Amino acid sequence: MEYLSSDNIAIIDLSSSEVKSEELSEDLVRDRIGGIGITTQLYERFKDEDPIVLGTGMLTGTSVPGSSLGVITAKSPLTGNVHHAPFCLFSAMEMKYAGFDYIVIKGAAENPVYLWLHDGIADINDASDLWGKSPWELIDIHVGLRRILSEELIQLLTIGRAGEEGSDLAQILVNCWPSGDRWGFGKLMGHKKLKALAVRGMGIFEVADPKGFIEKCAEVLSEIKKGAFLEKRGCIEFPAALGQEDIRDWIAPLVHRHSSCFNCPYPTNTFVKYNEDPKILEETDVEEPGYLITDVYGLLGFKDLGLSAENACRMLEACARDGIEPVAASQLLRKTGKTDLDSLKNALASLTGPVESIATSKFSSWIPPKPIFGDFGLPADGSKDAEWWERRQAVAHIFGIHPIFALMAPELTEDVLIDLFNMGTDLDITQETLDEVVADICQ
Amino acid sequence: MGLKFDSLRCTACMACEMACGYNRDDAFSMIVSSIVTYRNREKKNYFGLMLKESENLVLARPEKLEIQRIGVVDENVEADPAAKPILLRQACDLCEGTEGGPLCIRLCPQDVISLAD
Amino acid sequence: MNRQMRAPSEIYSTYKDLNKRLARGEEISWGAQGSACPAPATHRNTGRVLRYPKIGVYVGSGTSHSWLWFVELCDRMGFYDVVFLDENQIPQDGLKDLDILAMSGGDTFAVAEGLGIGGSQELEAFVKGGGLYIGSCAGAYLPLNSSKEHLNLFNFVNVKIANLTRTLPEAKRVPEKFCTAYGCSFIFHPVREEVRLITDGIPPFSGMGSLLAPLYGGPPMIPSDSADVLARYEGFTNKTQFLVDEAIAEATLIGRAAAVRTKMGSGHFYLFGPHFEHPHFPFANKLVADAMYWDIRDTPSGTNGHNSNSVIVSGDEARRLLRDFKRELSNCRIVALGMEMMPVTWLIGTKVYEPAKIRVFLEAMWTRIKTLEKMKGVILTVDEESRLIDDAADITVLLREIRTELDKGLDTIHLAPKIFKMLNAMTRRFLDVYFRTIGATFKNKGV
Repeated sequence: MEYLSSDNIAIIDLSSSEVKSEELSEDLVRDRIGGIGITTQLYERFKDEDPIVLGTGMLTGTSVPGSSLGVITAKSPLTGNVHHAPFCLFSAMEMKYAGFDYIVIKGAAENPVYLWLHDGIADINDASDLWGKSPWELIDIHVGLRRILSEELIQLLTIGRAGEEGSDLAQILVNCWPSGDRWGFGKLMGHKKLKALAVRGMGIFEVADPKGFIEKCAEVLSEIKKGAFLEKRGCIEFPAALGQEDIRDWIAPLVHRHSSCFNCPYPTNTFVKYNEDPKILEETDVEEPGYLITDVYGLLGFKDLGLSAENACRMLEACARDGIEPVAASQLLRKTGKTDLDSLKNALASLTGPVESIATSKFSSWIPPKPIFGDFGLPADGSKDAEWWERRQAVAHIFGIHPIFALMAPELTEDVLIDLFNMGTDLDITQETLDEVVADICQ
Repeated sequence: MGLKFDSLRCTACMACEMACGYNRDDAFSMIVSSIVTYRNREKKNYFGLMLKESENLVLARPEKLEIQRIGVVDENVEADPAAKPILLRQACDLCEGTEGGPLCIRLCPQDVISLAD
Repeated sequence: MNRQMRAPSEIYSTYKDLNKRLARGEEISWGAQGSACPAPATHRNTGRVLRYPKIGVYVGSGTSHSWLWFVELCDRMGFYDVVFLDENQIPQDGLKDLDILAMSGGDTFAVAEGLGIGGSQELEAFVKGGGLYIGSCAGAYLPLNSSKEHLNLFNFVNVKIANLTRTLPEAKRVPEKFCTAYGCSFIFHPVREEVRLITDGIPPFSGMGSLLAPLYGGPPMIPSDSADVLARYEGFTNKTQFLVDEAIAEATLIGRAAAVRTKMGSGHFYLFGPHFEHPHFPFANKLVADAMYWDIRDTPSGTNGHNSNSVIVSGDEARRLLRDFKRELSNCRIVALGMEMMPVTWLIGTKVYEPAKIRVFLEAMWTRIKTLEKMKGVILTVDEESRLIDDAADITVLLREIRTELDKGLDTIHLAPKIFKMLNAMTRRFLDVYFRTIGATFKNKGV
């Protein structure tokens, strides 16, 4: 695969410590496009070895607005079915620039390991000293993997205590923040004795039509910027847009700044500070002043326990330190009847399932269930929402578009995505190809 | 003429960094960009922009704008007068010769960057 | 610019093709059909036969990183018979098998001191015996007549410089890059970056007309009658940075010699004020290539081909070796990249070093690994096989140490000279392997 690709599928066997590389063939991309179009195929190929498959879209890491998506395809230990968990921030972009379009992880290591993925090289390194450390320690620039590998911009996919102990509540985190994993993929990593994937990329991707591609991206962005979300910011706006407007005032005193995933025009992440004044802009000596809310439903889960905004955020932090999926945690903690912060935190260590209300869709409930802000021409009665949502998510997960951003940008039509794909890769896929891949994924 | 920044609008999306690399290499690459998103302080959520100009490093911090001179250790000490450019990260040239002007301005989704007089 | 000259990308491919044919034994004359070198009417049928040169690049004490620009020129144009020499090797018959010695930029005083009397004697013998010396910037200053200690060992060329003054003009900008003390006087640099040159129509620079080249402290020259002026400073461009008042810059540079050729014994000196080897200036690169063809001695002075101590490593072993090296090099690059925007510089001697300079060496190797990976094998000495990976691993450890110290806010000046010395050595070792391997295939004696 010549364009927009590292041309690399890594097959990593943790049992034998063997790493193989396969080329990403143009035929495969022409047939399956990318993202979950290909991770599903890779999963099928290795399914008897209980693989975790990571993938990116062909548009991931490019100038296409919202091109920040990576996806984990695996069989959920909670449902027994194959699901796709999105991971964004900068980790998917970094994975691609580190030289990996797709990674298949099979087998299990005898002792704890982490994968160090850099410049097309997949190193399986000893993680004995890291096992037992929380994701917050792992990303710390003074003591964690970023210290060991001496680079602050290394991105991690990691598990905490919950994953190490094989908890159903275990989530894969992006650095030390929740991903879209709602299906216990952290438990899979723990079972494989895989503590983390560390990625850092210095790659370069050629584009088939460099001038045309960038002009098209600029044109699409220009249209998006006229859109309905222009002056809105942060994840708090999602539930607000879906009827829970009281959340704004509830969290407002803690809000510091909002930030985006890679090249995402809408900043979907909100940083709150409760260990220092949120109005402080300069860098201070407080190492952990607050928390980055990447999962607004986790926040809502703790809000529904009657917690204050600060305590709800502290519970999110506690979940992230243990690598526990916060929505499931809040549901299970509700049953305990506990309401004070310390009791709730203490209860996390012994929290067990069963986890209710697991999404049956292939796509994560981390993603809001409806369009947000933008007008996609759907009937006002919502009758078409579910069907539309599933297709929209499939398309976003195929091309590598942030799945939440996909809900607010009607300007990113399927035609536009196909056009950009073809300009970037010179492969000439059609709407028909996309329809086939979507149908196959959503069957 | 140079670039100016409204740094509080920045959301650290890296669009500018990617745009600059693209303009230089006609490909997606960020290791040659003149503009870099500073996002190293993740747990503190401290982020801003850094721009390499020919003689200065412009730091668009959230709290203030700071300008540092490049390559000066001690002005009282005689330093090599024939110092050669490193060529890897070149100074911002405002996308000279590119139609449409600086690509970072065009691709920034938050209108953080504009042309200074 | 003379537009009979080809587009930049064509220049490199044309010369590479020419060199491939020469390397494989084809006899090609200057200006003959198929030659890359157009012959002006006055020099057609000179009978001058082109020959594939053996080139030595000086990488020893006093050099900056601009020798890597010369490497880039050689790689792009298919000059693969290249070896790398330092101040210890030159005095020990290091030049005897060479046709050409390339001396790029750096600290002229340090170069002279490093080479010493042994190096100067060897250099003199080399040129008088028919060798060709190509010096740019500091390399141009080196053989000029001087009374200064160490430099006075290299008084081979009777050319004065026009940027020597007792009374310094006012520096308009970058005062730290503006001048060097020279006894009771100063050498000052009126401009930096791109300048416009005009060729004087003298071969081998005939037919070029105007061209651009970058100036980073190199000399404007006032030659004696015995020197051929190949190019003069003609003017400035909108990329020229004026370090002094423009009128003073004009008076100092315009009309002065930017490139001269002088004879000594059977050999020649080519002295370039600007960096004709700079990778962003293909037409200037072309002139360097033409100079090498034009004045190369008629017959090779020594042996070509593999070092007799070298072995061919192929198949899985080669893949493993390159992968292991690539792994460590990648680790180095990642740490180096992370340091680039840190507010740290190191003053080593009179030179200011920045973290970005670390990656210059690393990228020079990184961009070439892929090419080696496509070969069937690599040609290494036994020493190289073990040293390459160890070197890279050691540099990774040291870079991580530097990074840790920087993060603690500690001074790293005690570590900086070591890292650059190690980088220089490793880069040279790698490039030896690279040029040896690629060169063998180029000459059809492949791996």
